[in-house]
Amino acid sequence: MQMHAAHFPFLSTILLICVSGLALVLVLPKNSNAAVKWVSAACSAATLALSVFLFAAYDRAAGGMQFVERLDWIPSMGISYLNGIDGFAAPMLLLTGIVFFTGVVSMWELDFRVKEFFALFILLVIGVYGMFMALDLFFIFVWFDVSLLPMYLLIVIWGSSAREYGAMKLTLYLLFGSALILPGIIYLAAVSGLETFSLPALVENASFSGFEQKTAFLLFYIGFGILAGVWPFHSWSPTGHVAAPTAVSMLHAGVLMKIGAFGILRVGMFLCPEGWMYWSPMMAVLAVIGIVYGVMVGLRQTDLKFVIGYSSVSHMGIVGLGFATMTVDGINGAVFQMFAHGVMTALFFSAVGHIYDRTHTREIGELGGLSAVMPAASSYFVIAALAGIGVPCLASFWAELLVFIAAFRVYPALAMISVGVLVVNALFMLRVVRNTCFGPLNPRWAHLKDMSFAMGMPRAVLAAAIVGFGLMPFLMYDLIQTASVPLIHALGPAVGLAGPESVETLFTELMSVWP
Amino acid sequence: MLLQPVPEISLFLAWAAAVVPLAAFGLILVFLRGLPRAAAGTSVAAAAVSLICAVCLLVRHLGMDAPLQSSVTWMASGDFEIAVGVLLDPLSLVMLVIVTCIAFLVQVYSLGYMAGDAGYGRYFGFMSLFAWAMAGLVLAPNILQVFIFWELVGVSSYLLIGFWYEKFSATRAGKKAFIMTRAGDTLFFWGWLILLVWGGTLQIFELNSGAHGLSSAMTTASALLVFGGIIGKSAQFPLMTWLPDAMEGPTPVSALLHSATMVAAGVFLLGRLFPFFSQSDTVMTVCMAVGTVSMLLSATMAMVSRDIKQVWAYSTISQLGFMIMALGAGGYAAGIFHLTTHAGFKALLFLCAGVLIHAHDTNDMFVIGRAGGRRMKTAMVCMTAGALALAGIWPFSGFFSKEAIMGALAAADNPVWLFCGLAGVFLTAYYTFRLIFIILFPRTQAAGANSHGHGSVPASAAMYAVLVILAVITLAAGFFAQGFQDFISIHSPHAKDGHTAFLAHIASPVLAVAGIFAAWMQFGRSASDQVGFAEKIGPVGRLFASRWYLDHVYAWITDRVLDRGIAEGARRTENRVIEGALAMITGWVVICGRMAAGWHRAMIQPKLMVAVAVMFGLTLILLVV
Repeated sequence: MQMHAAHFPFLSTILLICVSGLALVLVLPKNSNAAVKWVSAACSAATLALSVFLFAAYDRAAGGMQFVERLDWIPSMGISYLNGIDGFAAPMLLLTGIVFFTGVVSMWELDFRVKEFFALFILLVIGVYGMFMALDLFFIFVWFDVSLLPMYLLIVIWGSSAREYGAMKLTLYLLFGSALILPGIIYLAAVSGLETFSLPALVENASFSGFEQKTAFLLFYIGFGILAGVWPFHSWSPTGHVAAPTAVSMLHAGVLMKIGAFGILRVGMFLCPEGWMYWSPMMAVLAVIGIVYGVMVGLRQTDLKFVIGYSSVSHMGIVGLGFATMTVDGINGAVFQMFAHGVMTALFFSAVGHIYDRTHTREIGELGGLSAVMPAASSYFVIAALAGIGVPCLASFWAELLVFIAAFRVYPALAMISVGVLVVNALFMLRVVRNTCFGPLNPRWAHLKDMSFAMGMPRAVLAAAIVGFGLMPFLMYDLIQTASVPLIHALGPAVGLAGPESVETLFTELMSVWP
Repeated sequence: MLLQPVPEISLFLAWAAAVVPLAAFGLILVFLRGLPRAAAGTSVAAAAVSLICAVCLLVRHLGMDAPLQSSVTWMASGDFEIAVGVLLDPLSLVMLVIVTCIAFLVQVYSLGYMAGDAGYGRYFGFMSLFAWAMAGLVLAPNILQVFIFWELVGVSSYLLIGFWYEKFSATRAGKKAFIMTRAGDTLFFWGWLILLVWGGTLQIFELNSGAHGLSSAMTTASALLVFGGIIGKSAQFPLMTWLPDAMEGPTPVSALLHSATMVAAGVFLLGRLFPFFSQSDTVMTVCMAVGTVSMLLSATMAMVSRDIKQVWAYSTISQLGFMIMALGAGGYAAGIFHLTTHAGFKALLFLCAGVLIHAHDTNDMFVIGRAGGRRMKTAMVCMTAGALALAGIWPFSGFFSKEAIMGALAAADNPVWLFCGLAGVFLTAYYTFRLIFIILFPRTQAAGANSHGHGSVPASAAMYAVLVILAVITLAAGFFAQGFQDFISIHSPHAKDGHTAFLAHIASPVLAVAGIFAAWMQFGRSASDQVGFAEKIGPVGRLFASRWYLDHVYAWITDRVLDRGIAEGARRTENRVIEGALAMITGWVVICGRMAAGWHRAMIQPKLMVAVAVMFGLTLILLVV
């Protein structure tokens, strides 16, 4: 793994901006709501700008870990503050920046315990940013937990339906996950004999046995996979989405689930390639079950947020399927899907949040015809739904396309099932759109006003990201490539591709019946 | 025959034809939503630029001797690349002219038709989106690009069918159209995955020249799967019922998307991959069978409908079936020529229907007839011209293309196809003139001519101009039949065109006239009761009117199998198994906690007893051991 040291600690600057934003929010007087919101917005805008800068400034020709900064933290235990980003982390930072900024602006109308909300929200984001840039296993774990705990309070205090249950379920599930990750990390650090928690050092120097890799990978896969919504550990996520307030849902589905997938990638796949290879068929099967299952359960939901929550389970299954293929295309598609799904689902929750704020209901049956009174909000909702369907020239299309192509090379049958579910997925999304935005207007909502320009702005940013990367997918793929190619090359020529023979034999037999 | 690179000027023209409407769409979406007139102007101007580019391209390459292709890599991942580009050959040049021409005319017509609509700007934005997607589809040099734009035309169709979103039926129809074509697209997706992964190429040219690594069985399989997509897009059996429902959209949309161009994209793709499909006889037979069934089935549906637009929609399915039959029989030029003439006269028929519907505020042909539809002279003359073309009467364009198709069918091994084709010719003439006669000769005259509904608006001069232009095209196109077919089949060695079967060429026009005569007997002459022979036999009429119960099958599948079956099963699994397991685990945790807590409660005597018992037991064990 090539490491390119930073000339300026950009990554720590992001954290520092967030920390100072948090401190500033905390010292502001209790009732200065407007000031709190402006500080949060400024803080999020600054980090967004930095994320965009890092996304653009990452040297795609050089590749490897860039903007690396290092500081010994507890030398006796081999723990260091080590940050850096590669082609996987840079898109995730951009995603975090976008969702953080749009989330803050989406909560502009909040008036209940404003200071506490934004303080916790920024704390949550610090954990997310830290997780995506950390290269030390100890810090990865710490940031991971920092990003989980504020969630409980955010849901319990500002949430809606069944919030105590949702928050408790979510927290217990995720803590159970971290209870698996920590032993995994300690186990690997111990058996390596290198007395370091540094991920690059372990990747370079440690040689783990097959058994060690298989064990540790399973721990990481389940531990992080819970957060990534891997079936059957997904059920915290729809409940959590429903209970959470708008911005938290956005961050939760948009970024937090990606932390899980990113953890599998960064810790599991980098450190335990043999374990990855060993478990990949299981990953593929679970992913496809998730893809099918999420859509099917979602089809029967009546609460808008449940609908989107289950569609997230399905879309995250595509990420898992991409990982399971162990090919460059699969990883590229999976990481792009993490980004695309993050932006799309943030737009979804943002639009739903707006509708909920106005109507105080999320029951699909009670809504209807909202396009007539809220054309802008409905348009964004429709864009998000079309992105969810996987319409070309919207970001998620390219991600799904690559994952399906890669999966078809390795697991033809599973890939064909996932492609087949796209029809049901379309049915499910369009049904929601029709029942929410289209049709005759429910007279109860005739008095509603459309979103103002300021409220439309975050949605426009998200929609622009969806369309922009949808029209120019190469911007993203050129970057992700720089990380996925070395990762797959390090595996060696071990992945066997499925040939057409199996299907062909079957087909020939079928055709022989034909006159 | 080798591919040549596209000369720079042609490349520029081709890109412009596709990208200018996209730019118009972007402009309208972002800046011109509040300025409907500016939006309409932008859109029409973009359509005009596209049309000019397309015509220039066609003129430049009329004497081409090899297909031209250029592409650029749009996105690369590993060693997999997605390229976009243009492939210029007679088929794409002709199709591009058809698409841009009809799109331009329909947009001009829409200026009047949609006037006063609240969504005027949005309408033209979506029209531009469609124009871009369709041009990208037509010019595509590889299957992936075809697929991408194929999906995009599907989206624009969804948006335009559901354009009047406050009408529940319209949004339902849009959804149905999207889902049903998507079902076909799933097969298409599988098909091209096989082509890409096991065949090693998605280049149309390579597939057509046989330069792929597929065995004959896999060739058949992939071609059948791709044909699945064609079935969906061209509304063939069994995925046909979305098209009549799609008539919920504005009439110009029906004219452009759901008759002349978008639904013809399926036939276009079949023509695009014609040499590839020809590599498997099974696939060609399946094409003919599907085309025949769709053609006959939809003709019967058209015989009993009262809704003008529905009749034209059924007839579109039927004519697309004719094209697919022709291609399946090897009549490449015949099928594509029919696509061309059909685009002209079917757009004409729809736009004439639009004028009538606009003026009378109803789709019901009996009501329009009674309200005096025949007094709208221009519209009625143009519509009759279109109907004569549809029925296949000399000298209208439909006559020539139908003759070519009958020639191709006569050359097929099995005479069944020809008989079915001839039956189709009779039915077509019958249902077409049933409609014309019902409007021309209403049975009971309405009290006055002032029975206009509130939405009735007289047609503008521009609308009539478009009708006349299309009528002239319909009248003239037939005389280019030979030149057209020679040009289109330059590069298709597999085509088996140019057959002449004396019997078929006599039988076809005779049957067409017979069809018109039958319609006259039942609907035209003053002694007739205007009840068709299908309706006289109750069960048959009901079977035709309810679309052979196909919709019932789909309703059953989505409702019973999918919704209440699989999805409900999944929901119960979620609620009972997964949540249940969770409840069980948490329950056990709580029980364990209670048990542990029990040891710490302040009840001295029982605890003391237990402690004594344990100590006693331990002592005993120690003593014994």
